[in-house]
Amino acid sequence: MLRIRDLSVEKAGSTICLVHDLEMRRGERVAVIGPNGSGKTTLLRVVSGLERGFAGECQTGVPLRDRVYVHQSPYLFRGSVLMNATYGLAARHVPRQQQVSVAHRWLRIFGIDHLAGRRCAHLSRGERRRLALVRAFAIQADMLLLDEPLADLDQEGVETVCRVISTLSRSTILISSPIPLPKPLSMRTYWLADAASNSVTGPESFFCQAGGP
Amino acid sequence: MQLLWDGVTGAVQRLVHGDPLILSAAWRSLWISVMAVCLAAISGMPIGSLLAQKRFIGRSAMLILIRAGMSVPTVLIGLLCYAMLSRRGPLGGLDLLYTPWGIIAGEILLAWPIIVTWTHGAISSLDPRAAETAITLGAGPVRRWRTCLSEARLAIALALLTAFARCFTELGIAMMVGGNIKYRTRTLTTATALETARGEFDRGVAMSLILLFIAVIVTLLIAWLGRQEREA
Repeated sequence: MLRIRDLSVEKAGSTICLVHDLEMRRGERVAVIGPNGSGKTTLLRVVSGLERGFAGECQTGVPLRDRVYVHQSPYLFRGSVLMNATYGLAARHVPRQQQVSVAHRWLRIFGIDHLAGRRCAHLSRGERRRLALVRAFAIQADMLLLDEPLADLDQEGVETVCRVISTLSRSTILISSPIPLPKPLSMRTYWLADAASNSVTGPESFFCQAGGP
Repeated sequence: MQLLWDGVTGAVQRLVHGDPLILSAAWRSLWISVMAVCLAAISGMPIGSLLAQKRFIGRSAMLILIRAGMSVPTVLIGLLCYAMLSRRGPLGGLDLLYTPWGIIAGEILLAWPIIVTWTHGAISSLDPRAAETAITLGAGPVRRWRTCLSEARLAIALALLTAFARCFTELGIAMMVGGNIKYRTRTLTTATALETARGEFDRGVAMSLILLFIAVIVTLLIAWLGRQEREA
């Protein structure tokens, strides 16, 4: 489903992301880990279609509208929590009644159903993170691209996100900084080394499979 | 000083008794300006957004030209419109000279560069994640645009209010294109100029007070919007 060969992204003369070989089957879950500045976010942005200026090959086999990317620090639209939760469904012309019921279901799963009428500006960081995930999960996209989905979350939030990700059968790539991923999240792990040092150490060390499903 | 004081007391009396000349001019000024801003916004807001979001050759030259358009004096716009709309002009057949719609045409030219420039500024200073989030959640171009406008709504409202204030208080276009015809094209500014020149000082003051009143309302509205924004 996803096939990346010799992908490189350059910004201001220096390579900020370098991936030689990455493949992913439909429904597979992959965690990309690596040090700061190794190009994890850029990789996800390329896969999501938001970053177009890259060299190499990146085939996703999923149309743009079926790939959803959640920013490292999510952007919430002005307005209520419910409005944000239904945004993607409204963009897909889902009937209003169904939008609301689907959104409420996801808000309940993430434990923020009681905030539905609240303005987004009044949310805490953890609540914002949960809402961004609700918004992305609600549209049932084929491919989930989650940039640090566990940041800002409390223990319960981390467990919820891990449970949801592991029960969904969607292709998921997530970026994670805390190296020991929580137990329920069994997934293939890719280690993305520093883009600058990659060019020195040679292709074999760009990715090494660290754990199996 | 006495002259001004007498003017103010006389003006208050006229306003209290509802001088028909003043009220008709005030109403005309209001609907002409509102109409001009609305019509200018229909094309000004999309073009401003386009200039902010798309990269194409000649974009910055266009921006500079439009920005320069904000400082064109109203008498020059009035002159231009007069030349276009007069019987011998290219648009003479429309019979718009000395009509309210002629003034509106001129004020559209006045409001348009303001709306385009400010919309461009508002959209281009938006957080890039706003558009990206809309894209990744599957929004089409129209929904994306609506979302961007909504995210930048304070700045857009400011653009419209500024354009309105400029149209409402301008004199050159209304005088030259409208011709200051009683009960037909007389606006607050042209009437004020005329009444003051004729020595009807209190009537001039009364109309200036209405202009001032509207200006204060617009300012309060801008301040209130700003506060709503900070609280949201």
